[in-house]
Amino acid sequence: MPKKSPGIGSTIVILKPQLDTILTTINNLDYQVEGPQIKDFSVVLGPIHSLADLPKGYQSQEEPGKYTLTSNGKENYFDVTSGSHTWKKYFFPPKSQLMVFQQENGDSSDWITKSAEEETPRYALIGARPCDLAGIQIQDKIFLEGERCDPIYKGRRGNSLLIIANCTEPCDTCFCTSMGTGPKAKDGFDLALTELNDHFLIEIGSDAGQKALADIEWESASGYYIKEGDLAIEKAVNKIKSTLQEPERLAIELLENLEHPHWDDVAARCLSCGSCTLVCPTCFCWDSTDKTLLPGTTIIRERSWDSCFNPDYSYVAHGNTRPNTRARYRQWLTHKFASWYEQNGTAGCVGCGRCITWCPAEINHLDEIAAIREGEPS
Amino acid sequence: MTVLTTSKPLTDFSSDPMLPTWAEIVKIEQEAPGVKTYWLKFTDPKIQKEFSFKPGQFNLLSVPGYGEAAISISSDPNNKETIGHTIRLAGNVTQAIDRLGVGGILGLRGPFGSSWPIKDLKGKDIYIAAGGIGLPPLRPVIYHIIENRADYGKVILIYGARTPDDLQFTVEYDEWEKADIELMVCVDSCDDTWTGLVGVVPMLFYSLRINPKKGALLTCGPEIMIHFAAFEAIARRVPRERIFVSLEKNMKCGFGSCGHCQLGPYFVCKDGPVFSYEQIGTYLEVEDF
Amino acid sequence: MTSEQELISALQTIPWFQKLAPEYFDKLAGISSVIEIEAGKDLFQQGDKQDYLYVILHGRVAIEIAIPGKGRVRISTCEPTEMLGWSSVTPVVRQRTAGATTVLSCTLVRLDAKELQKMCDQDPSFGYVVMRRIANVAASRLLVTRLQLIDMFSHSSKGGKNA
Repeated sequence: MPKKSPGIGSTIVILKPQLDTILTTINNLDYQVEGPQIKDFSVVLGPIHSLADLPKGYQSQEEPGKYTLTSNGKENYFDVTSGSHTWKKYFFPPKSQLMVFQQENGDSSDWITKSAEEETPRYALIGARPCDLAGIQIQDKIFLEGERCDPIYKGRRGNSLLIIANCTEPCDTCFCTSMGTGPKAKDGFDLALTELNDHFLIEIGSDAGQKALADIEWESASGYYIKEGDLAIEKAVNKIKSTLQEPERLAIELLENLEHPHWDDVAARCLSCGSCTLVCPTCFCWDSTDKTLLPGTTIIRERSWDSCFNPDYSYVAHGNTRPNTRARYRQWLTHKFASWYEQNGTAGCVGCGRCITWCPAEINHLDEIAAIREGEPS
Repeated sequence: MTVLTTSKPLTDFSSDPMLPTWAEIVKIEQEAPGVKTYWLKFTDPKIQKEFSFKPGQFNLLSVPGYGEAAISISSDPNNKETIGHTIRLAGNVTQAIDRLGVGGILGLRGPFGSSWPIKDLKGKDIYIAAGGIGLPPLRPVIYHIIENRADYGKVILIYGARTPDDLQFTVEYDEWEKADIELMVCVDSCDDTWTGLVGVVPMLFYSLRINPKKGALLTCGPEIMIHFAAFEAIARRVPRERIFVSLEKNMKCGFGSCGHCQLGPYFVCKDGPVFSYEQIGTYLEVEDF
Repeated sequence: MTSEQELISALQTIPWFQKLAPEYFDKLAGISSVIEIEAGKDLFQQGDKQDYLYVILHGRVAIEIAIPGKGRVRISTCEPTEMLGWSSVTPVVRQRTAGATTVLSCTLVRLDAKELQKMCDQDPSFGYVVMRRIANVAASRLLVTRLQLIDMFSHSSKGGKNA
């Protein structure tokens, strides 16, 4: 039994039950483990105490507007794909406190601002997919770089441990291969798992990842297991049906077609419900509102998730600059697939397919993009 | 699990652009019905001394319990004593600011945004077209021009408001004219005590003889006025890269983070609010974009 | 009464006159005269039978509509080089739909509308040039009026959630 830790960049192989040991080690390192679990016929993200909490033996099927969980009788923990929850909620919480204003001496001219300091949680995220990891990396850029480094994001992200599960059973709405984000994670993880029949391959990505393996029995992955892993990934690649051709060209193609008649077509179906923005790993818009606590001497300035589909999102003093669904859908799609390139140098989409799966109007955004990018019919 | 501790009050306001610094309302001037200029002075004299802004930039004014409003700075950048913000009372936040009154304390963070590139327009004829509440963000430019008059050719202010009562800064017009700035003022409607022009800002372009090689337009106001003022300038062959507009959007952060102010790839708070028509024209011309 | 030379000089200060072919310029000069009016005087009144087309050389003229019970409402003003009273040359409108009053003392070129219409009928090429000019004026006036309307009807004092 090798005592030395496996090197960063190396790949080891373990028997599946050992993952429980890893989870215990991680718990002992003071992390709160979060991962996928079954709840109400769907996969949600929540606390994981042991392997038993993971969705073993389940697989998901996704289509526009439909998510189905089926049991496949296998002994696999990570055959289900992402549910409606995104991992961004751990670093960019749906609600958080920006600051607290406290009135001193009951005098409304004397406010003290307190930066709301919270005990920064230490999350270990297990089972996030390579597309989810890409989403986190995009949000790292949004929240850590630029004119302000968000202290909440920074604290939580700095405390995090990422155990990515490479994807072996992608769904029909997945298109990570078109976006270059999967089904295998390239870098940015602490540990990356590839699930085989009885084993996990684990690629070590960092010191923190190494530490999580301190208590287990492992072997360097031999050529045989590496090949098994490669085959599993290849199988996943071949299973992916949805595609988005040359996504980088959308930076121009969508912005050149802002008056395409197809926008009207989508607008007639879109409910402006904002589900797509809720389930998207990269959507980052937020709103700030002041909440006054009785008796009015303490005010919390709260940050919460916002969506460009919300009616008030584009409100200005003289009216609403995006007063209809067509304008709002167009804003979302062009921001995600076109404007994002100029703003951040990358695509805004990671190809996870959630926006397609969770759209109650069953809109397949890839079809809409295809209809618009070709230009107006002559 | 939020633990509130008494962290030391923030004295360096530049360390986190979300945290406001406190300022006192030292004077309020009524400019027109529903429009007032609030003169602010930081409660910390050191911060007041260090604060500087460029014409066209804005601050986010904060009233705890109500929220924040993005307001263009309307005073002379060389005035280090106080900072003027001309506000039309429209919603909850602006009305809360008004209720604070002289002596009231509010939060201020800024300055944010891009500025009118007046220093790059030396030697040009400057046409300033403003509609209603669009004049305040342009007033700092007027002061700059007055202080550097010889740097510019013809300078013409074209200004329109709904009625004569709605015209802002009327007490300064004489001074501006004395500084060799031609004023063309119009109103939408009036009674017969008004002997000036009746019409809209784009109409005032009809009597201008703009030299396309020297003309530059700086415009601010309701977006439809911006659209038609730019239209008139383009019709007179002013190059799009010398037409500058200032846009208004819903703003929550001021530094390109919350997403609300986007227009295409631009964040109006960070890449704007001043844009050249070359940059922003194609997006401005798309309905509801 | 100005001399012919003074009339020609005055007409040459008007941009669109400058662009006319010489024979057309002469035709128009033949039916034009220069007049001066003090401030506060009516050029023509709402309901008048139409007789003249005007071009402003100096001063300012206000277009007003009389609303029963409200008096005269000033709709717009015209500046030097602008044309007014042009509806006198369009066939359908039979009488002045608005009045014109001098706001400042004015110098105007006045053209005989009936003569102008005759000349247009007799020489369609000339008529086309004149009508094109009038169409331009009408289009500009319409745009300005529409913007005024939008501004006046969109005025809202409702507050909102935000600023």
